[in-house]
Parts: sequence; C-alpha cells; structure tokens
Amino acid sequence: MSRLGTATAAHVRSFAREPVNLGFLFVLPPVVVEVYGRAMATFPEFPFATAGAGTLGRVAGTLFSTAFVAGLLGLFQVISARRGDERLVLCGLGRTTLLASRLAALVAATLAVAAVSLVVLSLSTAVSAPGVAYAALVGAGLLYGLLGVVVGAVLPRELEGSLVLVFLADADSALSTGIFATDAPLVEFFPLHYPHALFTDAVTTGTVRGGDAAATAAYVLAALAAAFVAYRARGVSG
Amino acid sequence: MSRVVATVRAGLREYRRTPALLALLVVLPVYVVLLFQYAVPDATVTLHLDEPVRVGIDETIVAVMAPMAAALLAGIAGLFMMRSATAADGRLVLAGVAPWQVVAARFVLLGAVGTVATAVSAATMWPTVQPVQPGWFLAATLLGASTYGLLGVVAGTALNRLAGVYVMLFGPMVDVFLYQNPLAGETPTVARLLPGHYPLAVALDAAFLGGVEPTEFALGVAYLAVVGVLATVAYGRTVG
Repeated sequence: MSRLGTATAAHVRSFAREPVNLGFLFVLPPVVVEVYGRAMATFPEFPFATAGAGTLGRVAGTLFSTAFVAGLLGLFQVISARRGDERLVLCGLGRTTLLASRLAALVAATLAVAAVSLVVLSLSTAVSAPGVAYAALVGAGLLYGLLGVVVGAVLPRELEGSLVLVFLADADSALSTGIFATDAPLVEFFPLHYPHALFTDAVTTGTVRGGDAAATAAYVLAALAAAFVAYRARGVSG
Repeated sequence: MSRVVATVRAGLREYRRTPALLALLVVLPVYVVLLFQYAVPDATVTLHLDEPVRVGIDETIVAVMAPMAAALLAGIAGLFMMRSATAADGRLVLAGVAPWQVVAARFVLLGAVGTVATAVSAATMWPTVQPVQPGWFLAATLLGASTYGLLGVVAGTALNRLAGVYVMLFGPMVDVFLYQNPLAGETPTVARLLPGHYPLAVALDAAFLGGVEPTEFALGVAYLAVVGVLATVAYGRTVG
C-alpha cells in the first residue's frame, strides 16, 4: 500500500476506534434534522419560501449536520494531531502526502455523514433530486471540512479554533435558515449560501441552477487551495 | 478563601497570556451582532411577548443574537475549561487545595468570561436596540451565558472534544435562535424546558416592554442552580 493509503487508513482507524466518534457520525444527524424541523415548524409560513417552514427546517438541519461534523473533523485533525504529524514528517512522510491523507480521511467521513443525513431527511421529506442533493451536501461538508483545516492551521489551540468555527458556522447556519429574507450582498459570500440554495432546490423542486453548482465547486476549490497554503505555511509543528 | 483568589488570579493570568483568546472574546460577539444588524432587512413584525409589540425585524434578531453570542462563548469556554484544566486542577488538589476551592475558582473564571461576553454583546447591539430596561437585559444575558457556561462544563465531562464542541455549537443555536425566537408563532412545550427559555424571555421583555416578569427570571436562576449542582458534581468528581 502506498504511503498515502497507509496514512489515510491510519487516520480512519484512529477516528473509528472511539465509539463516541461513530455515534457522532451516525446518531447526531437524525437528531439534528428532526430538531431543526420541529423548531422551524413553529414559524409562520414564509411568503418568500419554496416549501413549508418545517421542511425548510429539515433541509437546514441536514445541511448543518453534514457541514459542521466535517468542519469539526477538519479542525481537530489539524490542531490535535500536530505533534504526531511532526513525528511522521521527521520519519520521512512528506507534508503534502500527510495533508492529502488527512483530507482523504475527511472526504470519507463527509461522504458517510452526508449519506446518513440525506437518508434521514428522505424519511420525512420527499427529495426531488437525490443525486444533486447528495452532491450539494458533500460540497457543503467538504467546504466546512477544509475551512476547519484552515482554522486549525492558523490558530494555535483547540479553544480558539473551536470558537472561530462555531461562530462562523452558527452565523452561517442562521443566515441560511431562511427565517428572514435578506438581500444583503455580503451574505452571498458565506460558505453555506450556495450549497444551501443548491440543496434546497434539489430537495423541493428538483431543479439545478448552474450558477449555484459552479459557485459551490469554486468555493470548495478555493478552500482546498487555502487549506494547502495554510497547512504548509504553518508547518506541522505549529 | 485566599486559595480560591490565588487560583482565580492564576486562571486570569493564563487568559492574559493568550492574546488570541482575549481578542476572540471581544471580536466574536461583535462580529455576530454586527453581521445580523447588517443582514436583516428593514421591516416590522408583531412579537408575541407578554404583550404583543410591533418592532423591526432587525431589532428583534439583534436582541436575540446578543444573548446567543454570550451563551455560545461561555458554553465553549466552559467546555474547554473542563477539558484543559482537569489535569492541572488534580495536581492543585494533591498540593492541598480543597476540591471545592478549585471548583469555585473555575466557576468564578467562567463568570468572568460570561460577563465579558455579555458586556461586549450588549454594547455592540446598543446602536440598533436600546433596551427599555437595560439592567434586566444585561442580567438576563448574563444568566443565559452562565447557564450555558456550566452546561459546557457538564458536556466536557460527559463527551469527548468533538462531540462536546458540536453540542455547544448546536445547542445554543437551536435553543436560542430557533426555539426561543419571538418571530415564531407559538412556543412549543419543549422550548420551555430548554436552558435559553427564561433568560431570553426576560431579555426580550426587557428590550421591548416596560416591565419584565420577575418570576421568569427567578425560574431562570433556579435552572442555573440545578445546572450548577450538576456541573459542581461533575467537576468535583474529576478533580477530587
């Protein structure tokens, strides 16, 4: 097996060794989707919305559960593994290979949590275009996972990294719930804006707007580039 | 008592030594409150508080986000205080500091974080919303921050780091922004059981009405006391 494969498998094994982590991947999404749905069902129907408030809540919860699990995985993969990664580099594993292995593990986790979240959503809500919806969820997960890597590479400790990611994530999620219609231009630059639009359309109408898909892909690529730059600039020793 | 004070001072020095953390304590609430001041459209809405009141949506959301920002900060701080201080606090106990003194010192520190978060959040929202009763608003925001700070401590004992941060990310968001949001037409039963219910009810009354329900504040304090007992037991067992 190549070094990349070995390192990726080691990261996945290390994650899966803790039962809490597996519960995190497979138990939290149903809870989050349902809680979001029930909470937003108490809101009046939004005149600007394409679906009922409860459905929009489940849509937002599905996106939230996927994106922020991936975001936290990305963050902690980088922050908490610095010392171990430094030893791997000293043993001859290239930094790019090391980061690639971390990202491969992140992709695997994102694919899994997106699948679980979408299955949970489909139990209560008809999903018009499941393939597109899954792609949008994976895009949101990758985007936040990579942002987690960037934050983890830039900030020195878990507390600071968690605070930044939590505030970014909660503001982003609150803006994308659709509780209020906003036309503020800055909001379009938030990471979940385009994945949310893509995912909502895929669930409710089955349509795909090329601009939303392209913007989501562009954001993921930009975040990937930022993750590589931040990780290499910082060095694994932090 | 001097040992409690010394432990608090040591904790404050530790905060001072981490300028990135100090900056975040100020910057993050400012960021959230200003963002929503900017993003929420100009429109008026009827809020279903103790009495119906018509206010701007922007004022409403900002009055919700300020307590939420304080609760988020305190919750994450509580979680990491539990996770990072456990080993050092265990050594303090071995060195002769009583477990209750260690726990008391940590809770004072947590109160300091909650106070800073409350002050910064409230000051940032002031240009948009000047609460009718500022004292009650500040007290309610601090109450919510303290409750979530102690819940963070409990989460730190029960969950690993990943799940703990996720719960503290998800909890205040769903509780304060969704379940307690006054834009919702009804308050479901479960919302009344959540930690943010009483603090936000008092905060919104204080922001927009001439009077608050002292009973609601008292119930919020009782909720805080219950969470405080849980946190004390959890923390005490870890360091004792």
